[in-house]
Amino acid sequence: MMKTEDGMGLELRGLKKILGGRVIIDDLDLSVSKGEMVSLLGPSGCGKTTTLRMIAGFLAVDSGQILVAGKDVTALGPDKRPSAMVFQNYALWPHMTAAKNVGFPLKIKGLSKIEIKEKVEAALELVNLLHHKDSRPGQISGGEQQRVALARALVQEPDILLLDEPLSNLDAKLREKVREDIRELQRRLGITTVIVTHDQEEALSISDRVAVMNSGRIEQFSSPQDLYRQPQTEYVATFIGSLNRFEGDLQNGQILGGTDVIGIRPEDLTISREPMEGSHSGIVELVIPRGHFFEVVVRRKDGIFRAFASENIPTFGEHVHVKIKKALRYQNGKLVA
Amino acid sequence: MKGARLSILGLTLSLPPLILVLVFVGLPIVIGFTFSLGFTKGPNRIISIIGQQIHVKDHWWGTFAAYSDVFHDSRFLGDLGLTLFVTLLSTILVILMGLAISIYQRLIRSKQASILVTLAIVPLFVPVVISAWAIHTFYGGDGFLRSFFSQFGINFPTLTSTSSAIVIGSVWTSLPFAILMISSGMQGIPDALIDAAKDCGAPIIRIVSHILIPLAKTPIIIAASFTAIGILGSFTIPLFLGPNQPTMLGVEISNFFGSYNRPQQSLVMAFIVFMAASGIAILYVWSNVKSAKESGRI
Ligand SMILES: Nc1ncnc2c1ncn2[C@@H]1O[C@H](COP(=O)(O)OP(=O)(O)OP(=O)(O)O)[C@@H](O)[C@H]1O
Ligand SMILES: [Mg+2]
Repeated sequence: MMKTEDGMGLELRGLKKILGGRVIIDDLDLSVSKGEMVSLLGPSGCGKTTTLRMIAGFLAVDSGQILVAGKDVTALGPDKRPSAMVFQNYALWPHMTAAKNVGFPLKIKGLSKIEIKEKVEAALELVNLLHHKDSRPGQISGGEQQRVALARALVQEPDILLLDEPLSNLDAKLREKVREDIRELQRRLGITTVIVTHDQEEALSISDRVAVMNSGRIEQFSSPQDLYRQPQTEYVATFIGSLNRFEGDLQNGQILGGTDVIGIRPEDLTISREPMEGSHSGIVELVIPRGHFFEVVVRRKDGIFRAFASENIPTFGEHVHVKIKKALRYQNGKLVA
Repeated sequence: MKGARLSILGLTLSLPPLILVLVFVGLPIVIGFTFSLGFTKGPNRIISIIGQQIHVKDHWWGTFAAYSDVFHDSRFLGDLGLTLFVTLLSTILVILMGLAISIYQRLIRSKQASILVTLAIVPLFVPVVISAWAIHTFYGGDGFLRSFFSQFGINFPTLTSTSSAIVIGSVWTSLPFAILMISSGMQGIPDALIDAAKDCGAPIIRIVSHILIPLAKTPIIIAASFTAIGILGSFTIPLFLGPNQPTMLGVEISNFFGSYNRPQQSLVMAFIVFMAASGIAILYVWSNVKSAKESGRI
């Protein structure tokens, strides 16, 4: 999937953007392979939308280059770029029916009425909305509007599909379903896709690779597994999943004084009622059910541990022992092996 | 049960303004209409005594004699033609200019564009008499334009006392409201809807014709109908700027009523203007209902 021989889907080279006198995006590089699905993940205001809007052509870059499918599109306007975007609030035109919305880009291209009708129906079929082709956006649900917006993007057969927080207006249940639908469609059509989100679960579950952004830069760009198991910076480690964070040094399972940062994932802690080699003792302070497992908060003499447990769950107030199985160590914010 | 009681309450609450409208607008219309049909008794008695060429009803429903008078008066026909022509042309010009300025402001979103709109709204705060006078001194025989061009030996035409001057004056006074309406409609269109069209490859012309204008349809229609009704019944502008003959019906109605002392004929004309305005109003309501239906609101 990540081989460059597949050809490039999207390449950003040294992208820079200044808005309102502030550097919003700084020297950003990103290579997305053809057919790959990539998430831009980061906190609010880190520049995800700005990056996406530069790729789509709505914002001109201050410096840098944008290549889509190997072609330099930096100088082209949004109407000339081979990209299609799905907007956060769907941006469907309320005065047009679903079919008219989807057919608009084809009409612009000057296709014949018959061709438009065929393609529109195929696109609506793809998102299972053919029965709503004559409905207006105001008459269908948010999830359905979302799919119309998707159909409008797909009907253009773009080289690259851009999605800006496409699921943020849907309720939790629907969000999961629609994101699976999007992923399935994306795989089936093999379309290069960049999706912006600030929901890490969404990013990790939907993408081939995730680019974690932090104030206008990409901190790490790797597969969801690597991102979680091998976060290259302290920022990524704390941003993705939960983390027990300590300042100091780890030796034989014991935390000593020091200037490094130690990060331990909750599942890398073992809880037991019996003492183990190098284990810490403490009192169970909180047990939170998390579906098929429990989150257990253990208070030690100098701090707390958050651990996950799925069997032999201790109860509140119980005396337990916690052993560190695996830890991440950061020096000046960078991972050291 | 509860619903019925609520609707009675609602009706009661809306009654005072309704009664006010019925008494102060509805009743005079009815009295005026009966007078135009030759009912000269009751509330129409005094005016029938004072006025000249009063027709008295000869059927139970009245008479069309006053209507016949008016429609056989070539003067009136000229006035009607001029009124309709000026109304139509001015409305078209106002809407076109309003669209151009509002669309420019919507698409450019710059300081200059906002200043342009603000400037365009200024005439709204100038009383019509004042602006009519200003236009008169600008386009008049000894006005600014002619004096200016004469410096270069050019004989610029005198525009006052022509129908062109009425059109200029009408556009001048109607444009601010139209811009206010249309530009607020345009400003209400989210950026994303325009961006989405650009993303689909649409050039500006297509965005304007397929996205902006249809989405601002309701305010455009409101602006057009208010402009048309306003110009149709205008008085000050044609009085100051228009020719004596033919003139617009607003002025002619006043002439018939005051100068010629023919109140019945003047009322007939007023009714004709009223009918035309009602036609525009019906068009307006119909288009509102249609767009509400389309967007699924009713
Ligand atoms: N036109 C602008 N002028 C000045 N600053 C801007 C402009 N547009 C965006 N910004 C700033 O750029 C930064 C990045 O904005 P952007 O919309 O890309 O963030 P984001 O990552 O998409 O955030 P969110 O998750 O909230 O959507 C923000 O701090 C924002 O205030
Ligand atoms: Mg954003």
